[in-house]
Amino acid sequence: AVPCVSGGLPKPTNITFLSINMKNVLHWNPPEGLRGVEVTYTVQYFIYGQKQWLGASECRSISRTYCDLSAETSDYEHQYYAKVKAIWETKCSEWAETRRFYPFLETQVGPPKVALTAGEKSISIVLTAPKKWQRHPNDDTVSMQQIYSSLKYNVFLYNTKSRRMWSQCIANSTLELSWLEPNTLYCVHVESFVPGPPRLTLPSQKQCISTLEDQMSALKV
Amino acid sequence: LTGGVAVLPAPQNLTVLSINMKHLLMWNPVAQPREPVLYSVEYQGEYESLYMSHIWIPSSRCSPTNSLECDVTDDITATVPYNFRVRALLGSQTSAWSTLERPFNRNSTVLMAPRMEVTEHGLHLVVKLEDPGPQFEFLVVYWRREPGATEHVKVVKSRDTPVHIETMEPGAMYCVKAQAWVKAIGRHSTFSQTQCVEMQGEPL
Amino acid sequence: EFRFGPCRVEGVVLSELWEAFWAVKNTLQTQDNITSVQLLKPQVLQDVSDAESCYLVHSLLKFYLNTVFKNYHNKIAKVKILKSFSSLANNFIVIVSKLQPSKEKDMLSISERAHRRFLLFRRTFKQMGTEAALVKAVGEVDILLTWMQKFYQL
Repeated sequence: AVPCVSGGLPKPTNITFLSINMKNVLHWNPPEGLRGVEVTYTVQYFIYGQKQWLGASECRSISRTYCDLSAETSDYEHQYYAKVKAIWETKCSEWAETRRFYPFLETQVGPPKVALTAGEKSISIVLTAPKKWQRHPNDDTVSMQQIYSSLKYNVFLYNTKSRRMWSQCIANSTLELSWLEPNTLYCVHVESFVPGPPRLTLPSQKQCISTLEDQMSALKV
Repeated sequence: LTGGVAVLPAPQNLTVLSINMKHLLMWNPVAQPREPVLYSVEYQGEYESLYMSHIWIPSSRCSPTNSLECDVTDDITATVPYNFRVRALLGSQTSAWSTLERPFNRNSTVLMAPRMEVTEHGLHLVVKLEDPGPQFEFLVVYWRREPGATEHVKVVKSRDTPVHIETMEPGAMYCVKAQAWVKAIGRHSTFSQTQCVEMQGEPL
Repeated sequence: EFRFGPCRVEGVVLSELWEAFWAVKNTLQTQDNITSVQLLKPQVLQDVSDAESCYLVHSLLKFYLNTVFKNYHNKIAKVKILKSFSSLANNFIVIVSKLQPSKEKDMLSISERAHRRFLLFRRTFKQMGTEAALVKAVGEVDILLTWMQKFYQL
């Protein structure tokens, strides 16, 4: 790459990692005051305790303002830094650097996949733990449960008829709710919970399902 | 007076009232007819008093305050003895420090029986528990009201929504009581009043 | 409670420690410019057996109490950091006071293995300037708590 004059441009701003299920994407804002200018960016990353900065091969002279560093930061028990600089023609900015990023502590654990099956007076809830980011789709799947053995779920059940809700905290992945009201629409949403430092929770989409009609009353009709 | 200069007296009778892990430091007012007196509160934990006794930490909420009490709950974050001291401030005058007679340890807090509301959602036993704070868990004890019934126990954390305890048999009567449990101090409260509810439907 | 092998510790709520550190994590770690050095490196904390864990956590926490927090105190400008340190230090005192590492002869080889891990940590600490080492050690409390959490039973 043609060497550029460092400091000729303002630095990118708000550089930070956004991490969900170990998919670690670096985001930043363009430098201020360069509207309409064709700026490109180059990203490097650093493994805490190692010796040198490393180039992010997919993020050299890019025009987008994000860079997926999941592969480079996939050893989640390490800590990392990343930095980005803006380049325009022969000028470039100083590096803008992140604070120390610790994927194991900072990744947001997404909600589980929720499968509902309704019976006459029952709902069966099967939860599938969120998957860790994969480099290739056919790589072996790693569940976030394998990374966080103490992963728990808060299950919220809402009865749309009585308009009452309750919650349950479970550690395993199945929940059988029996003796519910027949022919009633229930809505469920689930949050993952991992002990440790404060983390944002990402609740699952609300899903609703109706219990079947009570066979006895169906026969009387 | 000291050398003809009015000396601001130090606040007296420092005490701590602690209920359900909420800790309130209180003291007597310093009598000053004309002007409002402010007070400043500082604390040190066992570490500070053992390793660096000169270090006192300003309280989160009362440095300064015009009140005669200070919520020091956020300052006490370990189950060790804490020292507290208070002084009065009036304009440019500051009193001497007045220190709590005996260090306070949160393991002496008074734990109240939890307020609980038991409801039946069809055949589901559901309880709504007050939320005194993140330190609290609850031992919920429930049993079917019949001779020789077995007691079951479930540990739950309180949260905004009612908590599901168990799925019950139709037409049966179930009773519930709960006690608060605080892991940080290894103690629990007395039991709440027992509440009983009847499940809908015809007995099996 | 914590279960470091045979050593049990009650009366410490790990979330309080996390909360205390998380409030000042960025402030502390930003002060550490020597990013090529890690005190609590994998060789110190990885694959620690249950039996070793009691010895190692005892040595590490005592070092933090007697050396790190104590000497870092006069560098603290912000009250927020003072409070976080007070919370961490006072909880570390509770843990250390309840740990009873066994002094039995048959545990000698295990305690020595744990001690070698601790010596590796302390050697790295001493190889740095004191100021820089103190700053690095407080910035690595999240690494320490992450390792301790493996021995924490909810």
